[in-house]
Amino acid sequence: MNAVDTALAPKPAVRLISGNHACALGALAAGCRFFAGYPITPSSEIAERLSRLLPEVDGVFVQMEDEIASIAAVIGASMGGVKALTATSGPGFSLKQENIGYAAGAEIPCVIVNVMRGGPSTGMPTRPAQGDIMQARWGSHGDYPIVVLAPASVREIYDETMRAFDLAETCRTPVVLLYDQVIAQLAETVELGDTSDLARTERKWASGPRAAYQPYAADEDGIPAMSRPGAGYRVHTTGLNHAENGFPTQNPEAVARNLGRLLTKLDRHRDAIDSWQTINCDDAEVLIVAIGISARAATRALDIARARGVRAGLFRPITLWPFPETALREVAARARAVLVPEMNAGQLSLEVERILGGKRVEGMHRFNGEPITPAEIAARAESLAKAALAKETR
Amino acid sequence: MIVDSAAAFDVRDYLRQEMMPHFLCPGCGHGIALRALLWAIHEQGIDKDTLAVVSGIGCAGRLSAYIDANTFHVTHGRPLAYATGLALARPDLHVVVITGDGDCLAIGGNHLIHACRRNLKLTCLMLNNEVYGMTGGQVSPTTSESRLTSTTPHGNAEPRFDACALAAAAGASFVGREGTRHVPKLKELIRSGLVHPGFAFVEVLSDCTEIFGRKNELGSSPEMMLRQKSELRPSAYRDTVDTPFRSNDLPTGILTKTERPEYGAAYRKAAAAQRASMAKASAAKSAAAPAKGTP
Amino acid sequence: MRDSRVEIRIGGTGGQGLILCAKMLADALAAAGKHVAQSQTYEPTSRGGYCNSDLVISDGEVDFPLATALDWLVLLDRLAIRPSWPLLKPGALVIADTRLCPDLPEGDRRAHHLPLSRTAIELGSERVANIVALGALAALAEICERRALEQAVRADTPRSFLDLNLDALAAGYRLGEQAITAPSSTSAG
Repeated sequence: MNAVDTALAPKPAVRLISGNHACALGALAAGCRFFAGYPITPSSEIAERLSRLLPEVDGVFVQMEDEIASIAAVIGASMGGVKALTATSGPGFSLKQENIGYAAGAEIPCVIVNVMRGGPSTGMPTRPAQGDIMQARWGSHGDYPIVVLAPASVREIYDETMRAFDLAETCRTPVVLLYDQVIAQLAETVELGDTSDLARTERKWASGPRAAYQPYAADEDGIPAMSRPGAGYRVHTTGLNHAENGFPTQNPEAVARNLGRLLTKLDRHRDAIDSWQTINCDDAEVLIVAIGISARAATRALDIARARGVRAGLFRPITLWPFPETALREVAARARAVLVPEMNAGQLSLEVERILGGKRVEGMHRFNGEPITPAEIAARAESLAKAALAKETR
Repeated sequence: MIVDSAAAFDVRDYLRQEMMPHFLCPGCGHGIALRALLWAIHEQGIDKDTLAVVSGIGCAGRLSAYIDANTFHVTHGRPLAYATGLALARPDLHVVVITGDGDCLAIGGNHLIHACRRNLKLTCLMLNNEVYGMTGGQVSPTTSESRLTSTTPHGNAEPRFDACALAAAAGASFVGREGTRHVPKLKELIRSGLVHPGFAFVEVLSDCTEIFGRKNELGSSPEMMLRQKSELRPSAYRDTVDTPFRSNDLPTGILTKTERPEYGAAYRKAAAAQRASMAKASAAKSAAAPAKGTP
Repeated sequence: MRDSRVEIRIGGTGGQGLILCAKMLADALAAAGKHVAQSQTYEPTSRGGYCNSDLVISDGEVDFPLATALDWLVLLDRLAIRPSWPLLKPGALVIADTRLCPDLPEGDRRAHHLPLSRTAIELGSERVANIVALGALAALAEICERRALEQAVRADTPRSFLDLNLDALAAGYRLGEQAITAPSSTSAG
């Protein structure tokens, strides 16, 4: 029995746990052995739980002096070869952005949880929102790739936390787990089963002679092998634009070459990255696109709408960025109208509009801290269906 | 890869020669500080493969690229926070931080005071040249009063930080200061910091001749360095009679050295104790439960 | 709609242990194979402000995990009336504490006014009013096995409070059982 088992195994099969609790357990199961964080509602439960669990598996928990220090320490630990996690909410996510960009540019794997609460600024710390959808993708300056996962249930937080680590390691990228306050603090009965034998992804480590090693020369998969400090490669890591040898350069060809690879590297891993769920989409006249608590409301709205004779379907991106756009296009082709309920003033709807170019996309936006209800979504779907039908028969 | 520490120190054994020529201005004190650091590393016999150097942004931050070790050039102000993660995750590495006065005391000031308080084993070398050199010579937290910089056109009116007093007040268990004027003494101070079992803060008084010196008409590089002689004195001289006659009384040498528990070791010890008590509880539990299939 | 959905809210103020007793009930339901989602709303003040703990129970996976139409409402403070009353289903059943929530709004609701907090005080601590309420709710709603609920209370109670909590649960069951035989008042206030 390895160290993980003692922390995870001897519990009943079905447990009532919160989303944040599931995140902590998923991280441990994925092999995370370092957490640095700073207290912030509503994500602190992750830190509190890992402060107890990480020492049990010979990992390290540290509460840092601020949000910036937390992401910095996490990247530092990962540069040392240890899988690392930090968790925060809106204000802290804003503070972390510069260093998330560093991790993206220097290609240091790490996982950042952002539990979305009301904003802007301090906003509503104990109320849910979905206002960080765009920030999660575009929050740091410059061009960079990033993976953002948007689980919608406690069980899915557990699974997606593990997948976040796998993708971070495989693609050498920061991965953001983005979920709202409702899902974070919601407790659900889940069956986690035996997690001890899950095959976890390990980073691709450099091998071979030092003289031949180029820290940013990629293999065919677009991902360079990383060198572990102490293994004798003695490389340089920098946030400056760098060439394949890792050293800063302003040579336009070298920058274009390396940055170009960075910006397209996720394209070669879309099979592993893309993830979405469709419900009742085959015959849907109204397609609903939603994440998190809004998607949970939409799921119930489907039944309400169908009971009233409206054929509604749901497309739920689980990987939010890069957006599974091919899948959405395919599903949306058959729909007469598209509805995007979200707890913000219009973010997911912008991306859906962009992808479905020309198709009418109706946003349903709320930012008062109250989740959008199934009945409201169903009513809007019904009126959209009627309007679309009227337009076609006219 | 260990260079024989008994052999004479050759700085080229520790430099990435492919990175030469370096980008420092003629007369800059940072090169002297780098040499002193590498000399101390050599004498201490630290393996280049397990040496990790983390640096921030600015002229000082660029130095890590020249060192033949595991080097990390991170974001502005944050090298101590990155180094904290690295050192906690990899206690087998010897982690050195190179930072500047702006990087360490302004944008990174919060990380400095908490690193001092936490007492994780790190050696922090702060190269103080009184100015933001790389961005064109703006005022920094250590710029002397009345000095001209590109953002204090009428002279600096802000009082400056005494970085060593700050570090000591924040609880650093090792604090020292030396100028670039006396390389062997600087090397010895850094070496003491490298062996210190806890957080070691070393301030190196360096000179920015090209930007700061020129603007303030402080003369050539050797002249600026000689100025250190009049402004610095060993801490042992603190109470001597000439105190009132000195315009500047920055003490040098080891200024603070106390013994406090090193954070990483203390954390690992507590974690091991937690695991041991868990193992004991689980053993007691399985002993209490009768094994299946035994008569 | 094919739906086995049942919604329960325990409403009161922060510090009354609403989340704990909802978790105990959820554990008992989970042990019986039900799918449960438990959520709470709270104000930034940790103690004294309005707080509720909701359970959504289903035979299959819970789709929308928040309360939309309450089948059962337990009121341990009058503060919980205003945010909860509009969510009541027609025919929903309300259990209200006689002392802390004496007046209920008009309307066609079945309501039981029970001395939950007074019973807790008589048992030795007002802090177990949540467990008394849990027992009363379980008796009236008949949503889980009594043994399973006792097991959940045992599992979530520190040893020093165990006897008190089990007594409180039993007292709550008695209150609930008496209420079944007594006619429930419509909430005329």
